[in-house]
Amino acid sequence: MATRPAAEIHTAVPPLSAERQVTWPKRTKARLANGLEVVLAESHTIPKFHGELFFRSGNAAASQRAPGFAEMTATVVRTGTQKRASRQIEEDLRRLGADLSSHAGADNSAIAFAGLSELAAPLLQLVNELAREAAFPEAEFERERRQKLEEVKLDRTQPGFLAGERLRKVLFGAHPYAQVAPTEEQVAAYKRDDLLSVYRDFYTPENALLLMVGDFDSAAMLKTIEKVFGAWSGQKPIVPPSPEPAKPRGRRVHLVHVPGAVQAQVLAGCHAITRKHPDWIKLGLTNSLYGGAFNSRLVMNIREDKGYTYSPRSSVNPLRQYGYFSISAAVRNDVVAASLTEIFYELDKLRALPVPDPELADARNYVSGVFSLGLATQDGLLSQLATVALNDLPDDYLENYREKVRALTPGDLLATARKYFDSANMQIAIVGDRTQIEPQAALFGDLDVYDAHGKRLG
Amino acid sequence: MNALKIPIETTTLPNGLKVVIAPDTTAPVVTVGVYYKIGFRLEPQGRSGFAHLFEHMMFQGSANAPKMQHIKLINSSGGTLNGSTHYDVTNYFESVPSNALERVLWLEADRMRALKVDDENLRNQRDVVKEEVRVNVLNQPYGGFPWLDLPPIAFRNWATAHNFYGDFADLDAASLADVQSFFKTYYAPNNAVLLILGDVKPDEGLALAKRYFGDIPAAATPPFADPREPEQTEERRGEVEEKFGTLPAMAIGFTVPPRRTTDWCAMALLDQALHGGRAGRMYRHLVLEKQVAVEVDGGIEDIFGYNGPTQMVTKILYKPEFTSETTLAEFDSVIHDVQQNGITQDELDQLKVKFRSDYYSTLEGGHGGMPRYGLMHLLACFSLFDNEPHLVNTILDDFLAVKREDIQSVAKKYLRNDKRAIVFRSPANAQAQEAA
Repeated sequence: MATRPAAEIHTAVPPLSAERQVTWPKRTKARLANGLEVVLAESHTIPKFHGELFFRSGNAAASQRAPGFAEMTATVVRTGTQKRASRQIEEDLRRLGADLSSHAGADNSAIAFAGLSELAAPLLQLVNELAREAAFPEAEFERERRQKLEEVKLDRTQPGFLAGERLRKVLFGAHPYAQVAPTEEQVAAYKRDDLLSVYRDFYTPENALLLMVGDFDSAAMLKTIEKVFGAWSGQKPIVPPSPEPAKPRGRRVHLVHVPGAVQAQVLAGCHAITRKHPDWIKLGLTNSLYGGAFNSRLVMNIREDKGYTYSPRSSVNPLRQYGYFSISAAVRNDVVAASLTEIFYELDKLRALPVPDPELADARNYVSGVFSLGLATQDGLLSQLATVALNDLPDDYLENYREKVRALTPGDLLATARKYFDSANMQIAIVGDRTQIEPQAALFGDLDVYDAHGKRLG
Repeated sequence: MNALKIPIETTTLPNGLKVVIAPDTTAPVVTVGVYYKIGFRLEPQGRSGFAHLFEHMMFQGSANAPKMQHIKLINSSGGTLNGSTHYDVTNYFESVPSNALERVLWLEADRMRALKVDDENLRNQRDVVKEEVRVNVLNQPYGGFPWLDLPPIAFRNWATAHNFYGDFADLDAASLADVQSFFKTYYAPNNAVLLILGDVKPDEGLALAKRYFGDIPAAATPPFADPREPEQTEERRGEVEEKFGTLPAMAIGFTVPPRRTTDWCAMALLDQALHGGRAGRMYRHLVLEKQVAVEVDGGIEDIFGYNGPTQMVTKILYKPEFTSETTLAEFDSVIHDVQQNGITQDELDQLKVKFRSDYYSTLEGGHGGMPRYGLMHLLACFSLFDNEPHLVNTILDDFLAVKREDIQSVAKKYLRNDKRAIVFRSPANAQAQEAA
């Protein structure tokens, strides 16, 4: 601790002290004879571990069968195996002190799990059974399908869901990424046999990646994994190529009419890049400075200065084949136009003027600092390792990330904003009551109006 | 099995500020929290929602860190920050690379010493809070279900029975004078605990705590409203209209036994038996077997974080083809079964393993990826409510000692119809939905 004059102790901001070295834990990487990729890292914060068995195929790869089909497959996976009925699976998980979820997104399906270190082997056995011997019991499938029908109806009452769904449809058109959820009719038509065939295609060791982080000895854990998963076999699935996404030109407003809404959910977006793209780190920093952090221009403007909204945010959304940039804010009905004006003002400002050095230094510190917070928890570390492995990023990606962030200049950010903050072609989804907000929305581009089910309204 | 040995150093400064330091060098990251013993329950009558609005004001500027500076200084140090308002505490916390520890303590001390806000800040945050209420409650399907719906039905003492997010009229009535007086009354070192967790040496952490907080003057011990409830002797029911959602819903709450009692521990394991995910009796019966419900969850939320009445709540979204009577009858059959037959030793063994495993996870994380949030929260509550932060290492033993007969006994004693409250949340436009 440096000594400072007493008078300044309370008035002057203390400087940062010397930074402590950030050391990422050693990873143990292996590929079993059957093709299963394994990545292990030790983290002894609590006597537990977190794991995730990923399959590199998700809803997009299953889209020719139906939207949301990989998700439904994952849901039914946990409801029965050749050896255990649904109730047995759930009680065994509890007996092991474990949590487990099976789910799928656009690009991957996964079985995520966490449990006590002392009971790791039996939990891996259960994960292995779910991955290889799921039985898709008819009655369980029927029940889950009935549940899903109610869930998709419920989804359409949530402003955030409706905005996201509309934006994805507009940005991706014929590409499977346009479908974020099935319709009721599509769910009604789901067939158990089709789920089984997706399961057989996707859930194979050649298509899989097993990640584990936690309180274990990596060498011993690898041996256990070999024993548990070694006899599994199966090829990579063949996935037909997808149609090109839409590339909408010109600003357009897509209003989803929800009668009685007391707030407007705004979500604007444009095409950007994937996680593997060389500009990714630049875009991440530019986004952080625009609206990705509390201390960002957008939050300071429309929340802290103007009080239009509680939770404004911008994000970069990387999918495997394409990525997009988006800005969201749930705003008061009477300030829809005012909010959009500020959203575009801040975008265009970043496209026009270089970021002042001190502001850039702050943003660099933020992005590189919060990156290392992930080190401190098992699931934080797991998610960092998953990003690296699923995107085939270099082995030293975590180690070099901070240095790359710190090297970025105002010129880099200006070029990045000009390239990816595609202000002129931004698509604007707004979910709200048209009687309250339509004239304001129409100021920002040609306007299409839909109902919550996607039907065009006049 | 349970041999937790989390190192903890504790002290109380002469001005009454409790300091708890839990060093751990896993990563060069430190989490700092300041907890004040003031929450929703203790806000003034006629000022519903004020404790939460005030929490927002704590980010609006202090003597040497004007508006925007607080957030800017934490973010630009590579860290994240937030605050949250609970029933009996309000917390402010940051996770930063450990080289920013001194700066974080300076900021927290500055706003404990002298909040500096004006009418403009108050107007701004009142608007922000209204949008928060709209996005989380008024414009969301099942917004506020059941956390805002149930208390006014279940409780009779205003402390626990009022709207914690606040009526907009009450928010509008809040003045700068209210802000100042609330700050003076409750935001004093002798009504708070400072926590430093992670990459810190205890002696250095303590020296910094003394340097920055040591000369903040203590205040008179604040008055606390008595949150005790009159004995409940009849079932209480109420209805709330669901404006957007498609499914009928209900929530049933039973008041939890007083904390740190044997019954409380047994109730926590009974909660695990009833609400422990897909293995829980409620989910299994209502969703998997009878298939009456689409979603069932709930339980005792944040069991360690209460210092007054709270409930174990079951939330049910059920299929429109079933009536509320049928659904409630199925819920009742789950309760009756455990009251009449208790649980098996095998089930109790499973519950304990899961409870222990969940406890470890609570310690490690639990709030938006903020490392050690859970450990911080438990240390703070055990400090402010029990004056025993070391409970964090030992309290698990009390739960692992629960016996089968304890579970059946609390089921009979607390899960009675005349001790429960029910809210029914029915879609306003059920017919319109069906016709569409």
